[in-house]
Amino acid sequence: MSQQLSSKPFYDEKIEGTIIPLPLIKDCYAVFACRHKFCREVCPVYQDDRDESHTSYGFHTALLGISQGMGELADIRETITNCLECGACELRCPNTLFGGDFYGASTTTVDLVRKVRRDLVASEIGFEKYEEIVATVDRYIAYFEGPEGDLTKWADGLNLATSGETMLFVDYFNAFETTDIPRNAAKILTAAGVDFGILPRPGATLGELLDVNLETFVEMGRHNVAALEQAGAKRVIIINPHDYTYFTRDYTTHIGELPFEVVFITDVLEELTNNGQIVFGEATASEVFSKVSYHDPCTLNKICGITESPRSIIGKLPGVTYIDVTPVEQWSYCCGKGNASFKTLHPDTSYKIGAKRLQAAADLGVSQLVLACPHCKDQLTDVGARSGVAIEPVHILTLVAQAMGLD
Amino acid sequence: MAVEVAEALEAAIGELRTALGTEYVMTDFHQRAIRTTNTSPMGLHQWKDLLPDVVVMPASTAQVAAVVKIANKFLIPITPRGAGAGLADGATPMKRGIIVDIKRMCDILEIDDEDMTVTVQPGINMQELNKVLRPLNVWFPDDPASYPVNVLGGRIGAGGWSLLGTGYGHVPDLVCSMEVVTPTGDIIRVGAGGGRKIRKSSVGYRLKDLFIGHQGTLGICTEVTLDLAPRPQAQLPVFFATRSWEDAHRMTLAFNRSGIRCLSGVVMFDEAKVEFLRRDDEAWIPLPEWVNSAVATICYGTSVELEAVKSSIFDIGAANGGVYMGQEISEGDWASRHDRYHLAYHGRSDGTIRLMSWSCEDAAITWSQLPTVKRRWYEIAEALVAKHPEHFDIWGMFMYTGNPFRPWGDFLTEIDIGVNELEMTPEIWADWVEAKTQIARVSVECGGSVSAAHGGTREGEVDVACYEELKDGQFDLMKRIKKMLDPNNIMNPGKYHLDEAYEDEETA
Ligand SMILES: Cc1cc2nc3c(=O)[nH]c(=O)nc-3n(C[C@H](O)[C@H](O)[C@H](O)COP(=O)(O)OP(=O)(O)OC[C@H]3O[C@@H](n4cnc5c(N)ncnc54)[C@H](O)[C@@H]3O)c2cc1C
Ligand code: SF4
Repeated sequence: MSQQLSSKPFYDEKIEGTIIPLPLIKDCYAVFACRHKFCREVCPVYQDDRDESHTSYGFHTALLGISQGMGELADIRETITNCLECGACELRCPNTLFGGDFYGASTTTVDLVRKVRRDLVASEIGFEKYEEIVATVDRYIAYFEGPEGDLTKWADGLNLATSGETMLFVDYFNAFETTDIPRNAAKILTAAGVDFGILPRPGATLGELLDVNLETFVEMGRHNVAALEQAGAKRVIIINPHDYTYFTRDYTTHIGELPFEVVFITDVLEELTNNGQIVFGEATASEVFSKVSYHDPCTLNKICGITESPRSIIGKLPGVTYIDVTPVEQWSYCCGKGNASFKTLHPDTSYKIGAKRLQAAADLGVSQLVLACPHCKDQLTDVGARSGVAIEPVHILTLVAQAMGLD
Repeated sequence: MAVEVAEALEAAIGELRTALGTEYVMTDFHQRAIRTTNTSPMGLHQWKDLLPDVVVMPASTAQVAAVVKIANKFLIPITPRGAGAGLADGATPMKRGIIVDIKRMCDILEIDDEDMTVTVQPGINMQELNKVLRPLNVWFPDDPASYPVNVLGGRIGAGGWSLLGTGYGHVPDLVCSMEVVTPTGDIIRVGAGGGRKIRKSSVGYRLKDLFIGHQGTLGICTEVTLDLAPRPQAQLPVFFATRSWEDAHRMTLAFNRSGIRCLSGVVMFDEAKVEFLRRDDEAWIPLPEWVNSAVATICYGTSVELEAVKSSIFDIGAANGGVYMGQEISEGDWASRHDRYHLAYHGRSDGTIRLMSWSCEDAAITWSQLPTVKRRWYEIAEALVAKHPEHFDIWGMFMYTGNPFRPWGDFLTEIDIGVNELEMTPEIWADWVEAKTQIARVSVECGGSVSAAHGGTREGEVDVACYEELKDGQFDLMKRIKKMLDPNNIMNPGKYHLDEAYEDEETA
C-alpha cells in the first residue's frame, strides 16, 4: 500500500517567474516554520555535501523566499537538481510525522521537486543537464514505438501468455538492462503455479518523465491501465519498485482509481511461500555460509512502506544468515541512483552515496547485499566495481530462484 | 550599497573564492535566504533586510582563519552559523556580510573511551555523533529538545541547556577544551592542561567559559574536546498527573529535596500546556478530563539503582497529589521530548486551524519565584492575545530543572506563544517586542535570568539582558572584552548591543 497522506492539487498551478500561488506559499511556509529541520541529517545528499540548500527545508524556503520578492524561479534551477527524490525527508518531517493525518498537510518534497523541475522546463528555463534527461526519455520512448516483440525479448523461450487475471508488469529498464530480474520473476511465478500474462507492448514508466514531461507520463500511464484492463487484469504484479510508486501514487493522482489491484512481487512471493506454493530446497554447501544484509529501496521503504515481505523471504532462504538494518535506520540510506534523474545530473555525488551505502554493508561483515530493485542492483554493481568494496549486490529474485532450484 | 562598500565586498568575495574554492563561496539569493533565519519567529516582513551578502562553507580551521582575516582586511562582518536552529537570533546576520556555515566541518577526530573524551569538528550533530559512539557503550549526553538537528558549534555558541543536565551537566559543563579562531583570525586553544582532556585545573583564568555562550561574537570554535559518559544501563521515566499546578509545583520541591542522585530531570506542565497539547498535538497521549497539570521525572542509571529508587519516586508523587499515569504514558511522553515541538499547523481553541510559528521564552527562575513569574507572564501574554487574537496564541508553560548535576534551585521556565509570521506587520511586531521585553523584565525582577538555554540576544529581551540583568558592571566588562578581542567589530556585530563598545571611537 502506498502511504502518501497528502496529494496537493495546487502543485498543478505553475510557478511563473516570481509569482508563487498562495496555497503553495502556505505549504512552503509550513516546512520553513516547522524549523526542526529533521529533514537535513536524514537526507543522503545533505550527508554528502552538508549544504542545506539541497534539502526539503532548502527547497521549500527558497520558494518562500521567491514569494517574498527575493528572487525568481530561474535562480533555483541548479539547486533543485540536487534531490534523489528518495522521500526520506517527507517521512522525517514533523508535518508528516505528527501533523499528517491531523491537518492533512504532510510534506511532499518529491512531488514538489518534480513540479519545480517541470515548471522550469515549461518556462523554457530548464536545468543543468536537462538535455541529457530528455535524451534518456527519448531513447526509452523509442522502444514504445519500436518493432513488435522488442519489449518482450527478455521473455524469449518462456512462453508467457499476453492476458490473464494476473498480469506481470515489466518496465523498460528491466526489459532491456536487467533481463535476469523479469526472467526470474516469470520462472518463479510459473514454478509456483501462478497463471499470469505480460503486456506485449507496455507503455514507458519513466521517473524522468515526472521531472520533465508529465503529459507523456500520464499518456503512457493511461495506455498501461487500459492495456492491462483489456488483458483482463484483476491483479497486477510489479517487479520494479519505482513502477510500484507510479501505479499506486502517480497514476491514482493523475489518472484516477485503478480498475485492478496492484501488488509488489515480494508481497506475492511472501504469500506463495506462506501457503506452500513456493518451497525452498536444502542449502547447498556454497550457500550455507552466506551472510547477507538487505538494502531497502527508497521507493519501497520511504515512499510505499513495503519493508516486511523482503525480510520475511530472506529469512526463509536456506543457508542464509541475515543481519538486519531497520527500515527506519535506512531512511538515511540510498544506493545513490535516486528515483529518476539524479545519477545523470550528479554522477559524482551519486557514486559517493552508493559507496557509503556499500561500506555500511561491509561494516556489518556480510558478503552479499540483497536488493529488491533493478536500479539499486545496477547502481551498486557499478559502485562496487569502482570502489573495490567487496560486497556482492544480489537481487532477491536471484536468490529465490536459486533456492527453488530454477536456473 | 555605497560604491566603496560594494567594491570591498566584490574584492573580498574574490579572495574568499581563492581561499575556499568557488563552490564554497555562495552568493545566490536562496543560499543566503535559507541561512538568514533561525528558529525563533522573525516576521517575514523583516527577512529581506537581514539577508547576508555571501555564504561560505569552510572545511578546515585554516580556511576559517583565512575567512576571518579576509573579513578584517575588507571590514566585512561575519556571522558563524551551525544548524541555524537557535532560538536567540544568534545566527541571523544583523549587518549582512559573510555567513560562515560550519556544517562541512563534521569529522570525529578522536574517540578516547579510557579518558572518556571525544574530539570533533563543530559541524557534527549530536545524534549522529552518538550513533558512532554507541558500540563503545559511551555517549555524549547533551540532550536539548533540538538534539536531532543542532550541531556542536551552535550548542557552544549558545551555551545550551540539556534535558538531562540535572544528571549529566549542560554544554558548558561538557566541554573540556576548544580550538577557537579569534575575531582577528588567530588560532588559539582554550581549556586546561598541556593536552586537551583536563576537566579541572586551577591554572590561569577560566577562559574556556568566555568562549561558550557568546553567540558567535568572540570567535569561531573549530574543534572541541567533549566529556563522554558511560551509556546508562536503564532509564526510568515517570509521569504524574495532578489536579492543580500548585500540586505539581509542590511535588517538584519534594523531588528537589529527595537526595535521589540518579534523578536526571524534572519537568512541570502547567494547565495551559495540558490544554494546548490536548487540542493541538496528535502525538499527545489522551489524559482524563480531571488532569490539569503534570510532572514528568526521568532517572538514568544502572538497573539496580533505578529499581531501588522507584518506590521513593512513586511515594513522592503520591504524597503531593500526583497520580501515576502508567508505563506507556510515561515512556511515550519521554520518548517524544525531541519531536513534540512545533509544527506550523495549529488547532486553536475556537476550533480553527492556523499557520503559526513557535516562540519560546526560556528564563532561568528559582523554584520559589515560579508562581509569581507564571502569573505575571500570563497577564502580559493574555493582554497581547486580546489585542491581536489573529496573530498570537498562548501555548502554555513548561518548567524544567536547570541546575547542572543537581535537581534543586533554578528552573528553565518556558512560555510558548504562537506567532502568525506570515501576516505580521511592523506595528504588530512592535507590540510583540514590547510584550517580550515585559516578560524578560519580570524574570529579572524576580531574581532570574532572561535565558537559561538560548541566549539573550533577541529583540525584546536584549535590552533587559544588557541594561538590567548585567547592569552591575558586567555589561561594561563585556564591551571591553569584545573590543579588545575584536578591534574591527567583525564577529557577529549587532548582537548584545556590543556595538556600543565602538561608539565612543566613532563619535571621536
Ligand atoms: C525545537 C527546538 C527545541 C529546542 N530545545 C532546546 C533545548 O532543550 N535546550 C537548548 O539549549 N536549546 C534548545 N533549542 C535552541 C537551540 O537549538 C540551541 O540553543 C542550539 O544550541 C543552537 O544550535 P545550532 O547548531 O542550531 O546553532 P545556530 O543557531 O546556528 O547558532 C547558535 C549561535 O551559535 C553561534 N555559532 C554557531 N556555530 C559556532 C561556532 N562554530 N563557533 C562559535 N559560535 C558559533 C551562532 O553565531 C549563534 O549565535 C531548541 C530549538 C528548537 C528549534
Ligand atoms: S527526497 Fe531524499 S534526496 Fe530529496 S531532499 Fe528529501 S531526503 Fe533529500
